[in-house]
Amino acid sequence: MSPTLGIFVVILLITLAITYWAAKRTSTTADFYAADSRLTPAQNGFALAGDWCSAAAFLGFTGLTALYGMDGAFYALGPLVAFCTVLFLIAEPMRNTGKYTLGDIIRSRMQTRASLLAAIAGTVVVNFAYLMPQMAGAGVLVRLLTGISYDWAVVFVGVSMIVYVAFGGMLATTWVQIVKAVLMLSAGAIIMAMILAQVHFDPLALFADAEQKYSAKYLLPGNYLKNPFDQISLGLGYTLGLAGLPHVMTRFYTVPDAKAARRSVVWVMFLAGSFFAGTTLFGLAAADFVGRDAIRAADKGGNLALPLLAQYLGGGKGTLGGDLMLGFVAAVAVATILAVVSALTLSTSGAIAHDFYVNWVKHGEVEGTREVWIARVTAVVIGVLAIVLGILAQGVNVAVLVILAICVAASANFPVLILSLFWRRFNTGGVVGGMAVGLVSSVALAMIGPAMRGADALWPLVNPTIVSLPLGFLGAVLGTLIWGRDMKNEERFDAFLLQVHTGITSK
Amino acid sequence: MARDEAALEAAHGLVRQLIAEKLKYLVPMTILFMASYIGLTVLAGFARDLVGTRMIGSVNLGFFLIAMNYLLSWILAIAYGFVAAGKFDVLAASAATQASRAEAKR
Repeated sequence: MSPTLGIFVVILLITLAITYWAAKRTSTTADFYAADSRLTPAQNGFALAGDWCSAAAFLGFTGLTALYGMDGAFYALGPLVAFCTVLFLIAEPMRNTGKYTLGDIIRSRMQTRASLLAAIAGTVVVNFAYLMPQMAGAGVLVRLLTGISYDWAVVFVGVSMIVYVAFGGMLATTWVQIVKAVLMLSAGAIIMAMILAQVHFDPLALFADAEQKYSAKYLLPGNYLKNPFDQISLGLGYTLGLAGLPHVMTRFYTVPDAKAARRSVVWVMFLAGSFFAGTTLFGLAAADFVGRDAIRAADKGGNLALPLLAQYLGGGKGTLGGDLMLGFVAAVAVATILAVVSALTLSTSGAIAHDFYVNWVKHGEVEGTREVWIARVTAVVIGVLAIVLGILAQGVNVAVLVILAICVAASANFPVLILSLFWRRFNTGGVVGGMAVGLVSSVALAMIGPAMRGADALWPLVNPTIVSLPLGFLGAVLGTLIWGRDMKNEERFDAFLLQVHTGITSK
Repeated sequence: MARDEAALEAAHGLVRQLIAEKLKYLVPMTILFMASYIGLTVLAGFARDLVGTRMIGSVNLGFFLIAMNYLLSWILAIAYGFVAAGKFDVLAASAATQASRAEAKR
């Protein structure tokens, strides 16, 4: 058995043991969706780090930096800055207002069926746009790392996530994320220590070597993001999009109160932030030690830069140390994907089972045990669908979906969420308008852009957030004005604000 | 009934005070991090030569500002924690007390 497979089997057994333990503790809806809101801020901070760092962060940031220099560092910085928005505006109100989903917040503010439906659409579109590339990425990655075929790799990842979510709900998902975060941070710390030892504890030498090897242009921006507006669009997408990603935001329901939600954001900012900062140095080190040609030869997109760097630091190809380090990083990469797809499956099942079936179709008249059962079945169905879509996505350009997920989150979910929390006159028309305009403009612009059409693009930006986000806000405002005054909703707003800021519900 | 309404009105008043207090801190903090981060992406897009100015050895202005953005985010996170615990939580707690008093007498 190769070291990768060996290490991975150990990780898998640990996560399955966690799921068995979690399944025995998961019986109510509050258990299933929110781990009964009993996590500590530190636990939730680790889980948030596990949730937010996808394979794109774990492997991609290092690869982008290795191949393109500074633009990779921009990709890594945005996801940390994004948590400032979440900390200041979203985390505490979210904890105070909702129960299990983003839809809960819109529903308790608007109390209309149309607005709930719009919120469900926003969650499902974002989650599937995020889930599909993760599945496709898992297929490619597991095949590269272990040699099993793409299709079987997707099935394996899909089945694992179904088991975690359907049996263990939020508790199992959380602990899978915590295990993954600990592994990821340990891998990062070990690699960082080895890099620093290589350069005699002078990180500046990494920059000097890179400059010498690849010229000063390598350390300039614009090697990857050629269009200046794409730089800005990426930045906006990150800083405001995170707050609209349902699978990350629902993590705030797992802690007891707003103060704990706040502390968990501070935890994740230090945990994930130091990892992100590390990837910039890892990327430079990979370019210096492994070389850009070798990285490109292994994978065009640079996704194997980090595993190759680990192999080099461990002693190189064919050595025991090299094989072990490569195996460790590769296994963590797979664990990373598992943690993220599980969260996406759980959050989507919340939108379908809790928001749509229970609250929309059945008007909330579903008994607790039955709701849990429905949620479990929904998780299985979503998992199977994700497997099918993942297999169909082989060879398809899924990069556009990654952009879409964050772009729709920033342009549709974020405006609707923020206006629901802070604008008295905001109403059902605004929810529907903001969601529709944000969604449609993101999808349309991404489809006619270079990510989808390459050189034939009808529109120059890869990431349309810089245009679709203002359009989403415009749609929300226009929708509100066209809908007219909803006096009952405006009268309820004082009670709603009391809940947003204190967590107290009053009539 | 009159006395519940008074307690409830007091709770709403405290919430309004809390929101005003939050705005006082969060607006400048948000402007600060947005301006630093989006400003950096604007520089990276439109002033590439400036961003390439060497600062310390081969580290250029761009990488230096990226490092500063990391620091700023962490400082703001800690600062927010202190402000929230020192200012917001106190007001939120009194609003919550008033609101539950109103509920209790209903």
